[in-house]
Amino acid sequence: MSWAGPEDIYLSTSLASYLDSMLSLSLSFVFALLTSHSFIYDAGKLLVLLRDGRKLMGTLRSFDQFANAVLEGACERVIVGDLYCDIPLGLYVIRGENVVLIGELDLEREELPPHMTHVSVAEIRRAQKAEREATDLKGTMRKRMEFLDLE
Amino acid sequence: MFFSYFKDLVGREVTVELKNDLAIRGTLHSVDQYLNIKLENTRVVDQDKYPHMLSVRNCFIRGSVVRYVQLPPEGVDIELLHDATRREARGG
Repeated sequence: MSWAGPEDIYLSTSLASYLDSMLSLSLSFVFALLTSHSFIYDAGKLLVLLRDGRKLMGTLRSFDQFANAVLEGACERVIVGDLYCDIPLGLYVIRGENVVLIGELDLEREELPPHMTHVSVAEIRRAQKAEREATDLKGTMRKRMEFLDLE
Repeated sequence: MFFSYFKDLVGREVTVELKNDLAIRGTLHSVDQYLNIKLENTRVVDQDKYPHMLSVRNCFIRGSVVRYVQLPPEGVDIELLHDATRREARGG
């Protein structure tokens, strides 16, 4: 099955260029917003905070007006208590609606407080699991105590 | 209307509270039509809870995740806002 004949492709590209020209105003604004003042694009590493609380680090390769972004050499930083781990992910395309914040990482500063220790992927997964079980337990305990009608 | 209001606040120190309870203080660098915000010299209010934000100096915040923007008291001109909201309500 083919998705589009040649004329469809022509249509879609012309539509795309039309939309592109329509959006160029706001796009150029966002572009100016992101690239002005030493901000990113070719240079340093970025930290992208996602809505589910995940923290991705990588080099920004592209973005658009929705804050869709392409991260090269992305890795996820998992932090559990005082333990942390960077899990390599590769090339990531992030949908803009999931982005909370894009921060420029200052390489001269300490990335994390000195008391935090780097651990392996297996260890961080174990710690994550333990933490999740602890919060689950807390939740069920609270549910069981609900009949007491505290507060 | 709020876009132009925030544009006037550029250069001021503001605290942006996000929907995930993260609060960031910094100098307002720029704002766009979606109320996306760019902050400079940022610091997180609760450092201990968010250690990964320690080395972030400048950041871009997506407008849709902002809950509050805390403004400096001198940045609020009530008369001006009154006029602007009334004009908005009249539809022009």
